[in-house]
Amino acid sequence: MSQHRLQTEGPPWALQPQEEEFRWLLHDEVHAVLRQLQDILKEASLRFTLPCSGTGTEGPAKQENFILGSCSTDQVKGVLTLQGDALSQADVNLKIPRNNQLLHFAFREDKQWKLQQIQDARNHVSQAIYLLANRDESYQFRTGAEVLKLMDAVMLQLTRARNRLTTPATLTLPEIAASGLTRMFAPALPSDLLVNVYINLNKLCLTVYQLHALQPNSTKNFRPAGGAVLHSPGAMFEWGSQRLEVSHVHKVECVIPWLNDALVFFTVSLQLCQQLKDKISVFSSYWSYRPF
Amino acid sequence: MRCSLQAVALWGKKAPLHSITAIMITDDQQTIVTGSQEGQLCLWNLSPELKISAKELLFGHSASVTCLAKARDFSKQPYVVSAAENGEMCVWNVTNGQRVEKATLPYRHTAICYYHCSFRMTGEGWLLCCGEYQDVLIIDAKSLAVIHTFISSQSPDWINCLCIVHSMRIQEDSLLVVSVAGELKVWDLSSSINSIQEKQDVYEKESKFLDSLNCRAIRFCTYTERLLLVVFSKCWKVYDYCDFSLLRTEVSRSGQCFAGGEVLAAHRIIIWTEDGHSFIYQLLNSGLSKSIYPADGRVLKETIYPHLLCSTSVQENKGLSFVMGYMNERKEPFYKILFSGEVSGRITLWHIPDVPVSKFDGSPREIPITATWTLQDNFDKHHTMSIIDHVPGAGTVVVTSSEYVSSLDKLICGCEDGTILITQALNAAKAGLLEGGSLLKDSLPHKVLKGHHQSVTSLLYPHGLSSKLDQSWLLSGDQDSCVILWNIFTEEVLHKFFLEAGPVTSLLMSPENFRLRSDQVICCVCSDHSVALLHLEGKRCLLHARKHLFPVRMIKWHPVENFLIVGCADDSAYIWEIETGTLERHETGERARIILNCCDDSQLLKPEFALPVTSETHKHKSVEQRPSSSCQFGPIPCPGLQVESSWKVADVKPFSGPFNVLPVKTRWSDIGFHILLFDLENLVELLLPTPVCDVDPSNSFYGSEILRRAKSTVEKKTLTLKRNKTASGSLSAEAQAKPVSENSAQGENTAKSLGDNEGIKRQKKIKNSKKMHPKPSRKVDANITIDTAKLFLSCFLPWGVDKEFDNLCIKHLDILKLQGSVSLGLASNEDHFSLMLPGWDLCNAEMKKDYSKVNLFSKKVLDLSNKYTSTLPNQVGMPRGLENNCDSSQESNTLNTIVYLLNRLFAVNKLVNTPLELACGIDRSFKMESVHNKARIPGNEISNISSFYGYLRNGKSESHIPEADISLLKLISCWRDQSVQVTEAIQAVLLAEVQQHMKTLSKRAGNSQPVSMIEDVHCEMRQILQETEWTREEVELHCTTDTLPLQTPVTPVKHDSDSNSAKFQDTEDMPDRCVLEESESPGKPRHHSWIAKVCSCKLC
Repeated sequence: MSQHRLQTEGPPWALQPQEEEFRWLLHDEVHAVLRQLQDILKEASLRFTLPCSGTGTEGPAKQENFILGSCSTDQVKGVLTLQGDALSQADVNLKIPRNNQLLHFAFREDKQWKLQQIQDARNHVSQAIYLLANRDESYQFRTGAEVLKLMDAVMLQLTRARNRLTTPATLTLPEIAASGLTRMFAPALPSDLLVNVYINLNKLCLTVYQLHALQPNSTKNFRPAGGAVLHSPGAMFEWGSQRLEVSHVHKVECVIPWLNDALVFFTVSLQLCQQLKDKISVFSSYWSYRPF
Repeated sequence: MRCSLQAVALWGKKAPLHSITAIMITDDQQTIVTGSQEGQLCLWNLSPELKISAKELLFGHSASVTCLAKARDFSKQPYVVSAAENGEMCVWNVTNGQRVEKATLPYRHTAICYYHCSFRMTGEGWLLCCGEYQDVLIIDAKSLAVIHTFISSQSPDWINCLCIVHSMRIQEDSLLVVSVAGELKVWDLSSSINSIQEKQDVYEKESKFLDSLNCRAIRFCTYTERLLLVVFSKCWKVYDYCDFSLLRTEVSRSGQCFAGGEVLAAHRIIIWTEDGHSFIYQLLNSGLSKSIYPADGRVLKETIYPHLLCSTSVQENKGLSFVMGYMNERKEPFYKILFSGEVSGRITLWHIPDVPVSKFDGSPREIPITATWTLQDNFDKHHTMSIIDHVPGAGTVVVTSSEYVSSLDKLICGCEDGTILITQALNAAKAGLLEGGSLLKDSLPHKVLKGHHQSVTSLLYPHGLSSKLDQSWLLSGDQDSCVILWNIFTEEVLHKFFLEAGPVTSLLMSPENFRLRSDQVICCVCSDHSVALLHLEGKRCLLHARKHLFPVRMIKWHPVENFLIVGCADDSAYIWEIETGTLERHETGERARIILNCCDDSQLLKPEFALPVTSETHKHKSVEQRPSSSCQFGPIPCPGLQVESSWKVADVKPFSGPFNVLPVKTRWSDIGFHILLFDLENLVELLLPTPVCDVDPSNSFYGSEILRRAKSTVEKKTLTLKRNKTASGSLSAEAQAKPVSENSAQGENTAKSLGDNEGIKRQKKIKNSKKMHPKPSRKVDANITIDTAKLFLSCFLPWGVDKEFDNLCIKHLDILKLQGSVSLGLASNEDHFSLMLPGWDLCNAEMKKDYSKVNLFSKKVLDLSNKYTSTLPNQVGMPRGLENNCDSSQESNTLNTIVYLLNRLFAVNKLVNTPLELACGIDRSFKMESVHNKARIPGNEISNISSFYGYLRNGKSESHIPEADISLLKLISCWRDQSVQVTEAIQAVLLAEVQQHMKTLSKRAGNSQPVSMIEDVHCEMRQILQETEWTREEVELHCTTDTLPLQTPVTPVKHDSDSNSAKFQDTEDMPDRCVLEESESPGKPRHHSWIAKVCSCKLC
């Protein structure tokens, strides 16, 4: 990744060469960058097992198994199977030290759980590719503003794609309880367990919350917890007519290598976009552009 | 609710950029609505002869507009909804350009469909939305709140496009959508209304994989009720609606991308492309074909093949992207129109014949363009001027940046050629707008600062932000990254900073409370994303932070450790040590977010959101996102949704005087224009006091009491002037020196009245403004005030209605005639305003022939004005101020008249602007029904009452008007109910009043009565104050829980309330009425506001 900066300072150029340079930038360099961008993003979208446009022959996406664990505890182990943007299988083992009980649950056979973060990120990338695909070599850019607008649109999609992966949903506990994920399991999850799955950066994360009911006459101050990515023990909420408190939290995670690649691709392409914008801006006086 | 500001736009020669991203024609075929990448909406007039002319520009979004749709049954309410890239949604009334509703949701919509089912639905209907989120959102068309979602059970995904199918045959409305992955889904619509209202999950009825990507449109043929047209970017397909079997696929040739399509008639369709071409096909039925499915034993299917009948194209502009639409109207006066909007801002229309046919030889016929228009065409056709056109020597220079210094009434313009022009804004505006103003041109005082070699990109007048800094300093930055410190009085260069970092993008000042060695520093952002700290006293550059890879979004200051924290567009944070100039840390991701959120109060203005309007929406959004994200279906509020602001609109907020010039700049371009803003309220306040003291020095007891008190109030503590000061202030001579903070105090009041959400938003704004204007108690020059008033009258008076009358106006009001129509506008206190475009007055068909009339807002104005005049003579015995002022000099007469007129206009403005519900409450003799019940929960009462007060306070000008004027008030209230626009009402009243005045003047020439109008006004005031006095006692009786003595500063508020009731009640029982009301209203919240008020008085 070249990190070169443009020399914007220096003596005022003579008019002619700069105009020529700008024309070169607009006609050649922009397309070169766009092609490069497109290549990178295609590479990124491949990671998401995007069905190739045109061919339309989409076989079942390949399945990947991820073993989720954490270094600190082995109370929870999970094996999740990812098929594209959906979890097709899940096996969760939970050891409860209190009574040395071993709980095991798995997804129902007929069900899949869409990981919305991956789907959104993938869709954002394909939107970005679509924007770029409409501006191939045959297209002639006439103004710098045109390039800037295109770059702004592409960067918007890429930033959103990246942010979808880097910022998991902050859910409240009732939201987790109400989510369809809890209804995916067979045998059904016991009422004192909550499960949440999300993507954080390049990791697939599984959290298991153990709950216990608060006595109605409990002296504890009941204060429902707000939304959070990861709730800590002691968080309280109301579900149905019951007041519940989180007693234990188990978080296990596993790196998804292709997500890591995708994130790198996003960052690289964002930088490419910005560099192109910067290059265009240097010539701003030629088409009366005032940045911002 | 504060009254809106009246605005006049000075557009300049070049039209602002308007890159069309969405376009629609309203159902009455009279208006074209376009949304732009820059974030504005434009309303275009479409004449019956299909001529286009731009009418009005609406500012309300801070990001690119993504889609437009109608939001009501158009014949009942002409409402249109617009959605923006950052999740903002607005509902607009397209006949008058007003914004009806606004919401910011964490969803980006790409298509919206209005659905209303009158017999099953209560309310105004639904907006069915799809976009960058799963499935289909149902949003209430009135409140813009999310009602529910249509959920898909099979492979939920983003939805690309949707359409509603009304099938007469099966008596069921269905919703058809196509997802990003190419999955067609069908939901029952009409039969699931109940389940939706009960928040039950509604799953799709059918779904089918269509085997193509990038769906652009889906349309149902209502003529045959059989065919379904689905347009993808690379092909279009026709399906049988009965079983979704594919009848035809047509692949695009020569790399064209399809963008949409529509069914013209039975078996006739139109398809258009992204580059502005369209094709009309006849779908021919091939009969039963045996060859298509020979083997699979299914029922033999008919197939369809298309025959190209006609095509349309645009001549040039190959490759630009177009947004197109087609309007099918079967009713007679309407046309079948194909319309397109380009990125360049051009609109093109094609009139599609009822029966398109090919040429005789069978080859396709080209349908010619019927009309085409751009904003620039409007500007070329109607002469437009910029504010500095008449500055000698300015000639044709392009202004690249500008700044208005209200304390000096100086407009500073940085130009493309590197010069900086400083001129008197008011005079410049006059020279440009008014007929006799050309006389001013030669004498227009101005200065030219020469020092830059390249175009000036940013300006900063530090004293305007902090009074501690030298009044003579001006900073300017140029394209060549040179920053110059000027003395504007001596015109000399004090220092030049050479930053060598590309064009200077913005100059900012550190907040008041964060200073470096007791001095504030200037923060300079350059286009190579570097940030330089400049120390003005020391004339040196303290730090040049150059490592940022992405544009700077946010600059913060860590006061204790002396760190500069820079947030960039890629969400990374850079921490710089100011002393050593070294990069201390660089963080990305979550950590950066935490760092950037940590010291919230120490924020420098962010360059991107530097201008308050946009920063406000930004904050507003984050407030609103919380509740919605906790909704079950709410996806996570993506930070990515927060897009850059698209227009730099400095807000009305640093607004201290009655007059302000607001430079506005488009994104991605250099084209800017100026808006003149008039604050009627402030103008009236400033004009009123002087005469009172002049004419009537022997004050009544109550009057002088208030005056004295007010004076001492001002002396003691100028900062905490509260709302009651407004009234007393209008009596006090000190009012001229009214500090800006009063504005913010007023703002605070309004904030309360506007419910929680806006309240928060507003308060943030106030905080901001306090930061920026800590001690601005500056005098507004009396001459400037009068000049402003005159300019205001010139701009708003409809000229040319009667020649003689015009001359009388010029003679007696001492104002000048307009050169041509001005672009009037309306700036509401919220982040929204609308501006008329040059040539707006010729849009209305009926006004086209009548060129003698200049500046008449609409035909309606004349009717309204007549109505108003006919109400006037009813009040016989009433001492009308205008009729009596013939005694003193011409000049003071004129002044008195102007004051009277402005007072009237202000009252009208207030009345028309009062929200309907609130006004209704007042009309029903103060029945405090909590009209906002549903919307606001806890602060309900408070907000209700204080908004009520706000009304009363602001309605104070009415207090001069005895009960005889009730009929007028009723008339104006009536206008409000008929949704007469503010500008219309103002013009009508102005016209009527001036006409009346001129009549009496010519009648009574020579006949004199020694009572001046102002004295008269004063008498009324005194009377009111007396009334006030005893109301106050009554109040004290009732508020015994309030041990604090209610002192005079409180009374003005009271006097408002009762004088207001006088409008509708007998003056005699009025105090009773008021007290009754007081005791009726729930005690606690009222006390709240009382205490707040009294306490604040105690403070000062």
